[in-house]
Amino acid sequence: MGSDLDRQIEMLKACKPLPEADVKTLCMKAREILIEEGNVQCIDAPVTICGDIHGQFWDMLELFKTAGDCPQTSYLFMGDFVDRGYFSVETFLLLLAMKVRWPDRVCLIRGNHESRQITQVYGFYDECTRKYGSPTVWRYCTDVFDYLSLGAIIDGRVFCVHGGLSPALPSLDMIRGLERRVEVPHEGPMCDLLWSDPDEINGWGLSPRGAGFLFGAEPTKAFLHNNSLDLISRAHQLAMEGYKLMFERMIVTVWSAPNYCYRCGNVAAVLELDEHLGQEYKVFEHAPMDVRSIPARRPPAEYFL
Amino acid sequence: MTTPPSSVPLPKHELYEAPDERGITVNGWRITSTTRPISNGPQSDALQADLGLTLPEMIFGNNRLTIEHQATGWKYSFTARDALAAVKNGELEDGDGGVKVGYADAWLKSRQSNSALMPQTVQAKPYDWTYTTTYPGHIDPDSTFTPTWESVEGTTHELPLAELTRPDPILFYAEIPLFEDELHDNGSSALLIRIRIMPTCIFILARFTLRVDNVLFRNFDTRIYHSFASNPPMIIRESNGFEAPYEVLKARLPKQQDLTPLTDPNFVSRCLTETRKYSQTEGAHTGWRGLGTRRDCATLAP
Ligand SMILES: [Mn+2]
Repeated sequence: MGSDLDRQIEMLKACKPLPEADVKTLCMKAREILIEEGNVQCIDAPVTICGDIHGQFWDMLELFKTAGDCPQTSYLFMGDFVDRGYFSVETFLLLLAMKVRWPDRVCLIRGNHESRQITQVYGFYDECTRKYGSPTVWRYCTDVFDYLSLGAIIDGRVFCVHGGLSPALPSLDMIRGLERRVEVPHEGPMCDLLWSDPDEINGWGLSPRGAGFLFGAEPTKAFLHNNSLDLISRAHQLAMEGYKLMFERMIVTVWSAPNYCYRCGNVAAVLELDEHLGQEYKVFEHAPMDVRSIPARRPPAEYFL
Repeated sequence: MTTPPSSVPLPKHELYEAPDERGITVNGWRITSTTRPISNGPQSDALQADLGLTLPEMIFGNNRLTIEHQATGWKYSFTARDALAAVKNGELEDGDGGVKVGYADAWLKSRQSNSALMPQTVQAKPYDWTYTTTYPGHIDPDSTFTPTWESVEGTTHELPLAELTRPDPILFYAEIPLFEDELHDNGSSALLIRIRIMPTCIFILARFTLRVDNVLFRNFDTRIYHSFASNPPMIIRESNGFEAPYEVLKARLPKQQDLTPLTDPNFVSRCLTETRKYSQTEGAHTGWRGLGTRRDCATLAP
């Protein structure tokens, strides 16, 4: 198997978008694989855990340079593959092609940007219609989003999720019982997993925005204890040093988009778990800012008024 | 050949450039712009402790724009710290223009209808999570001159559009972001400072742009203008606050399916300016005190 796939992976690694027909086939194959996976994927260490990529394709290649090629390195991506960067199409399709080629060496879980609504605002929809002349590819991809797992568990000890905890989901079994094949809802337990944030508060907090939960050290500790876990690994928030440990190392935020939005100047990181679940954070920088990494932008509006 | 050469004589000026700092000296003014990567962990922790405010996700705490009038020693700056110090910290009150995200009511209702989903929650520290700021810049602590700002009305000291739209050569241009936050994927809040030094004037635009998805748009622009020909030297500072319900701008999209222009501050500003009759009076009915126009002048003479 795989000569077509290998060719597609080579194309995508050169940041060339696939023809629409190939995207259709790839998305169908991916769906067949993802539909068999649980809401919480079980994974074996060693594995390399990655946070948000947000369409920064050339920076993702830096990530692979830092952490090694697949399938020699096994990868877990914690969502937010698309939006904001200029190459969401190539980024997501490369990850998807890797998933189809090496299903046991690549795990993709869903971020809050893997949603129809969010991608219509933050760039992926726009990019698809620009590159393909119609929203068809966007439709194929967003249909795949609905099949992505909500979390992963590594050797039974490390829980990985895009956002964080939900007060309605005190146990992993309850997460396993969710019906996940839907557009990310605006409320409810599935929404919490993809949107909530850890915060220095006691217990649970309501976000001042009027929607969304914050969770403190106690709920984190209770979740770890009740599910016999050592660590929660999540993404979703920019960490200037590439990662941020909180609550006496019970939870870590991993951020894998260096120089976020091509202007933050931050470094990024991945978390390598060895076979004994020892943690090593590998920090990396963004790809050189040459012409191929960022398409020509309109000249700055120097004569602003 | 498309544009005739400018007839405006260029003043004597000196540009300088360091890795993260650029500047110009011209006509007795010294302008410095600093742009660096976003604040690192310890820096933002320190700033957070100092301001007592949950900070925006991207904070350019090391960026700054400073203009200095050498004859009087007047020094005026723009920094993220001072812009954020002007953000409402605490329970929001009348005039603060506080809003919730578009689906807040639905979210809360879904929680309350099922008590199992609603744990005991602590009130997270209240603050204006939209980071709305009417910060017009601030006088630098080591400024040796403090001018008196006087409010002017009507057409007195209006910004000279003819001069500002004339394509004279730009001697110096800089763009200095101070903060940005994506409101947890509920929109965007950003403050960007721009400056251009022209042969005849200094012109600064500090623009705060807010989008709350399915709720509203808000702009607060501060423009600072100084004509090198003014005698005694005069500074004009004009601010404009705008607001519009989300749907109003959405209806102005060129293609209804494609929402990306709504993420472009220039598109937003253009729409708000074109509808200023409403956007500067009724706005989005939040009662925000920043709506409207205000113009102040100051003379730089001891
Ligand atoms: Mn996210």
